[in-house]
Amino acid sequence: MGRLNFRLTKASFDQNLRFLKRHVCRYAGNVVVSLMMKRRNLIGYLFASPWMVGFLLLIAWPFAASIYWSFCQYDLINPPEWVGTENYRRLMQEFREGRGFAVALQNTAYYALLSVPLSIVVGMGLAVALSWRVRGQAFYRTAFYLPAVIPIVATSVLWMWLLDPQDGMVNYLLSWLGVPGQNWLTQSRSAFSVAGLENAAGWAAGKNQLLLFGSKDALVLMSVWAVGNAMIIFLAAMGDVPESLYEAATIDGAGRFRKFWHVTLPLLSPVILFNLVMGLIKSVQTFTSIYILSEGTGQPGESLLVFSLHLFLSAFSDLEMGYASAMAWVTFVILVVCTLLLFRSSKHWVFYSSQ
Amino acid sequence: MKFAKTANFWRHVILLLLALLFTLPLILMVFSSLKTPEELARNPYGLLPETWRWQNYPDALTAIPFGRYLLNSLVLCTGTVLGATLSCALVAWSLSHVNWRGRKTAFVLIIGTMLLPWQVTMVPRFVLIRELGLYDSLWAIILPAFLGEAFFIFLLRQFFMTLPREMLEAGRVDGLGEWGLFWRIGLPLSKPALATVAVFQFVYTWNDFSGPLLYLNDPEKFPLAYGLERFVSAYGDQTHLLLAASVMFTVPIIILFFLAQKTFIQGIATTGLKG
Repeated sequence: MGRLNFRLTKASFDQNLRFLKRHVCRYAGNVVVSLMMKRRNLIGYLFASPWMVGFLLLIAWPFAASIYWSFCQYDLINPPEWVGTENYRRLMQEFREGRGFAVALQNTAYYALLSVPLSIVVGMGLAVALSWRVRGQAFYRTAFYLPAVIPIVATSVLWMWLLDPQDGMVNYLLSWLGVPGQNWLTQSRSAFSVAGLENAAGWAAGKNQLLLFGSKDALVLMSVWAVGNAMIIFLAAMGDVPESLYEAATIDGAGRFRKFWHVTLPLLSPVILFNLVMGLIKSVQTFTSIYILSEGTGQPGESLLVFSLHLFLSAFSDLEMGYASAMAWVTFVILVVCTLLLFRSSKHWVFYSSQ
Repeated sequence: MKFAKTANFWRHVILLLLALLFTLPLILMVFSSLKTPEELARNPYGLLPETWRWQNYPDALTAIPFGRYLLNSLVLCTGTVLGATLSCALVAWSLSHVNWRGRKTAFVLIIGTMLLPWQVTMVPRFVLIRELGLYDSLWAIILPAFLGEAFFIFLLRQFFMTLPREMLEAGRVDGLGEWGLFWRIGLPLSKPALATVAVFQFVYTWNDFSGPLLYLNDPEKFPLAYGLERFVSAYGDQTHLLLAASVMFTVPIIILFFLAQKTFIQGIATTGLKG
């Protein structure tokens, strides 16, 4: 039935007509459908056009240009001049000699290594306190979260005043605890460094004053104060822990601490990983507070010369766009490697409840 | 029973102490902004001012061109909020309800760009803005907002995916085109998500310091965030004015936070990003 018939009878004519009707219509339908598909495509492109233009102008081209310029000498005034791997070699050399880029890396690493884990511990601690069933939860939540919404410029101004060595409130409160006044923003030496430990040892031996905390520790303090976002994420994740698990743990005779350790913590581990990665990225990109605290110089000493500030100064004060681009890429690669390592390690400590 | 009561008491004590610790800097900022400069120097640790010097506020307003900066901030915020909500809604719609070739690739690229640090593209972006003749113009900050922001596209796309398909089908039967579906059905149903984007973008632009630092040069065009920092450099010793200006700069964000607290907290809890 389903084919053309060339016998010249009425029946075969009707058959041919049916065939043509069916197939031509189907074909025409296909054409219309494919036209509509193309119209779909067109509509899709129109809707997505802002992003397409943005992607080309603000991501793809800058991406390519930044790679190219990292092999050039470029001062914004004269056209870029190809210098091969010169910029990368300079970074390597600075790294070996412990200046410039090496200082920036050290400072960034110090800040990230202290502020990220501290923010996670404090954020989780606050979330636990907020999960207690007491009156006024909403009030406490707002109070803990409020610092995170304060504009970073205002936060920086505020903490510059609070951390003033002479009459800052922080030193005043420390004096209640018997801790001598610290040179928060005027001291380049940090607490958890060789020099910082030497100072502490000297103090223990009664040789010198205890002047532990420096400018980077002040920065860490500020970041921990504004820990609200991590806290909210932990709090939301804690709400998702099924009540039945806690009940089962209670029946098994688990106390408060064991419940936290064996139920809450494993179920929160994916969120911890998330906060670790986000915190790491954020800490490497921190710029505004550092710029304001050091008035755009990285001082005292070079203690606040973190990667983002060094990059900014190399580009816009030394006009070394090539060197800055190379530095951006090296740091980006380091950041990606650290993130991948975190994900790799997560196999051993992150627990997914669907497993 | 008695145990539960004392436990509750201690919980309140701990929570109150923590709340005090976290809000004390802000409380100090507000009260100290009302002290006389003489009192600030003599007794910086007292909580309440001995004499309430409201004059600090008018003084701060005249010491820096506050009105000018505020106007610039508002122009930037309006422009970027409009640009970001409109462009990101369009793009997110194309990713969720228009079936076009290459949209999966586009989605992957958008997710990818969220992970790219701004420092990598900073230098070429600056050069681009300069080449376009937008350096030292507010457009340098407003225009990019009209070209979509990966995070907001992602957020809106996730929301659009939850819209009921039947409703869109009904709209189609009623003769709405793709644009009509987006404008008449999609957007009105997505007000909470659009509000989230608007609020986040407003806060971002209001607080943004690095944008003006990179692209603006003329003090007439500075927004508050940048102007305030200039003020710190110039009047670093006049703490009373500095604090008053900081309070005035912060208050709009606090008000917005209390008005849109749910938006803030849910936006962060569900997406976890930004901030």
